[in-house]
Amino acid sequence: MDKEQMHQERRGFLKQFGATMGVAGLGAAGLGTVAGVRTAHAAAPKGNIPDRPIKMGHITFLTGAAELLGGPGQHGHILAQEEINAQGGLLGKRKIETIFADEAAGTDSNVKEFRRMKLSEKIDLFTGVISSGNTPALGPVAEELKVLTLFNDGCTDFLFDKAVPNPKYTFRVTNIQSADGVTAAIGAATHWPKARRIASIQPDYSYGRNVFEHFVLALGKLVPGVEVVSESWPKLGTTDFTSHITKILSAKPDLLVVGVWGGDYVAFYKQALRYGLFDKMKVATTLAFGGYPHAIGKDHPEGVLAGVHANYHFLYPSAERWPINKSFVERYHKRWKEYPSFESDGAYTALYLYKQAVEKANQLVGGWPDDDAIIAMLEGTGINSPAGYLYIRADNHQGYKDAVTGLSKNLPGYDFPVWDTSSIVTIPIRSITAPPNWAKPGQGHNESTAAADWIKKTWPQAKA
Amino acid sequence: MEILVIQVLNSLFYAAVLFLIAAGLSLIFGVMGIVNMAHGSFYALGAYVTAWSAAAAAGVMPPAALFIFLPLGAIAVAVIGLAIEPTLIRPFYRRPEEYQLLVTFGLLLVLEDAIRLVWGGTPRTASGLVDSLGLLQIGGLPYPVYNLAMIGVGIAAALGLWAFVYRTRFGVLLRATAQDRRMAAALGIDVGRIYSLAFGLGCFMAGLAGAIVVPSQAAVLGMGVEVIVLSFVVVVIGGLGSLEGALVGALIVSALRTITIQFWEEIELAALYLIAAIVLLILPTGLFGKKA
Repeated sequence: MDKEQMHQERRGFLKQFGATMGVAGLGAAGLGTVAGVRTAHAAAPKGNIPDRPIKMGHITFLTGAAELLGGPGQHGHILAQEEINAQGGLLGKRKIETIFADEAAGTDSNVKEFRRMKLSEKIDLFTGVISSGNTPALGPVAEELKVLTLFNDGCTDFLFDKAVPNPKYTFRVTNIQSADGVTAAIGAATHWPKARRIASIQPDYSYGRNVFEHFVLALGKLVPGVEVVSESWPKLGTTDFTSHITKILSAKPDLLVVGVWGGDYVAFYKQALRYGLFDKMKVATTLAFGGYPHAIGKDHPEGVLAGVHANYHFLYPSAERWPINKSFVERYHKRWKEYPSFESDGAYTALYLYKQAVEKANQLVGGWPDDDAIIAMLEGTGINSPAGYLYIRADNHQGYKDAVTGLSKNLPGYDFPVWDTSSIVTIPIRSITAPPNWAKPGQGHNESTAAADWIKKTWPQAKA
Repeated sequence: MEILVIQVLNSLFYAAVLFLIAAGLSLIFGVMGIVNMAHGSFYALGAYVTAWSAAAAAGVMPPAALFIFLPLGAIAVAVIGLAIEPTLIRPFYRRPEEYQLLVTFGLLLVLEDAIRLVWGGTPRTASGLVDSLGLLQIGGLPYPVYNLAMIGVGIAAALGLWAFVYRTRFGVLLRATAQDRRMAAALGIDVGRIYSLAFGLGCFMAGLAGAIVVPSQAAVLGMGVEVIVLSFVVVVIGGLGSLEGALVGALIVSALRTITIQFWEEIELAALYLIAAIVLLILPTGLFGKKA
């Protein structure tokens, strides 16, 4: 098969998802307000606005290996805060003050800190949180204490499937977790349709389990005769991967799916490289480019499916098609002397989402709107974020935007690998997530997520 | 077959690292009676100092010369240890053990934050050192010569430490102090100095472990906390305060880890703690610990 024919076939394959490959991919542009400094042109606030500051709590990883994700998130939050405050604050009057706390303190401490933030610091809005272990613990507290909460990440399906099935105060900005494994599967099936023997290495907790399950499930539907030949489950924080790598090599897979992330991934790829792993198999990751972009060295192999949690990479959407992103990246780089990650986009967009809802609610009710009015404006809303069009589904308060992934490549101009432009796969999020009001786990099915049940029941099985 | 050979080598490399850390932990406990919770952070410091200095010198020195930063990283950590012992640890010798645990745990948190403050959140690496030694082919699979060399360093460190403790005058003083601090002091040994040097030596070992690990892996935040847990499993199995115990414990833990990873990964940690629990039940002081 010649190259052009293969290319055509891949595009045909992607069509079933409405997905695209290359720079062309960008979902329908949105209806909402543009994030960034442009919102200064919004209508003048109505009524009497108090000028006391808005207090926000933000818990994220400030120490430990996960700082690689938490740090960019904090930077995104601060950038949005500084921009909004420079315009006089929310509704031109209320400056934002943020209390930060370290998520690495553990789930119990995070819950206590969240309560303290509400009860003694009287926060108006809670944001942040990276770990999927923490949002299911904090979500119910947000509902109990009635704190408007925009989680940045902690993207487990479990939060809105089980922990807070009927959210009122709890929202989440970044894509749902099951989309991560499914995106990696579509990316892998697009670029390597012949891979059958699958090996997996995942961190041994809910994230890794979720990635493995949804990757295997989706790939099994897309490619006939898929077989898992090796599973590795290093615990979070592992830095010696040599035994895992040798085990993977011994299984002789065609494709390795990697959910290992953060500092663990850096240690993993360094060792895998010297053990010749990348020469022996294709590698699909979900979070290789998920931390500070400069955390990955130029020695990282090219042609690896380099996941960004199915959310955002700072070079895409491209500057020509999506100037909002270009402008965001420039402002972010000017402020922090580094490039943003998907967590930066998530935390930044969360604040602008709140700003937009406050402004809309103010136009309706006048004065400073109460939480119920703000929530009504958040549900079902959309916003043009740096990552593209983001919308918040009213039924589960989950943010959805087109999922992206691409192959790693060293391009001149960057000290770290980025994506090969022609390899980027963009998938409309509705093609890979369960539709609104699909039965949740325990309501007629016992799959781990609504997404898994939906994929099993509705995706056609590819035939050999 | 080549898989078996490489897994044995993987296991020995990991054992070398664990031994260096656990031996320092055991030495400090044996001589000073202090369970140093911050020991893993000295390991992390060794990794960061080595990666940082090797990266700074990479442009001006040939790759082979960068190996000098492995011992230098360890020495730098020893110097930091020598500064910390008299200022932070010494005031707590006469206090109950829980105070010592608290202060060394506090030190762990301070060092973790200090590392982030100095070197930031981005992982530091020194892969050039691994690449400069090239690869060995084992039945068609590459294996870094660097890892082999570092297994050699681990063996040399074990022999060197043994010779130091059992064949030098300082070793005699060290063991005398460990056996009976008051009697040693009565005989005119400067116990304070012995304590400082034992702590410094322990930190040197941890720093050396970090230094040899960083070229093949990466210096990441939290690496010290990750390794201290396994090091405690090593000394529980081998016997806290015993160097032979640290060696045998490191070999057992590392081999068990590799075997479970290869065949039944879900039980990796469970198996390690189970072995530790069994050893504690049958031999409460560990395989080589002194009987109470």
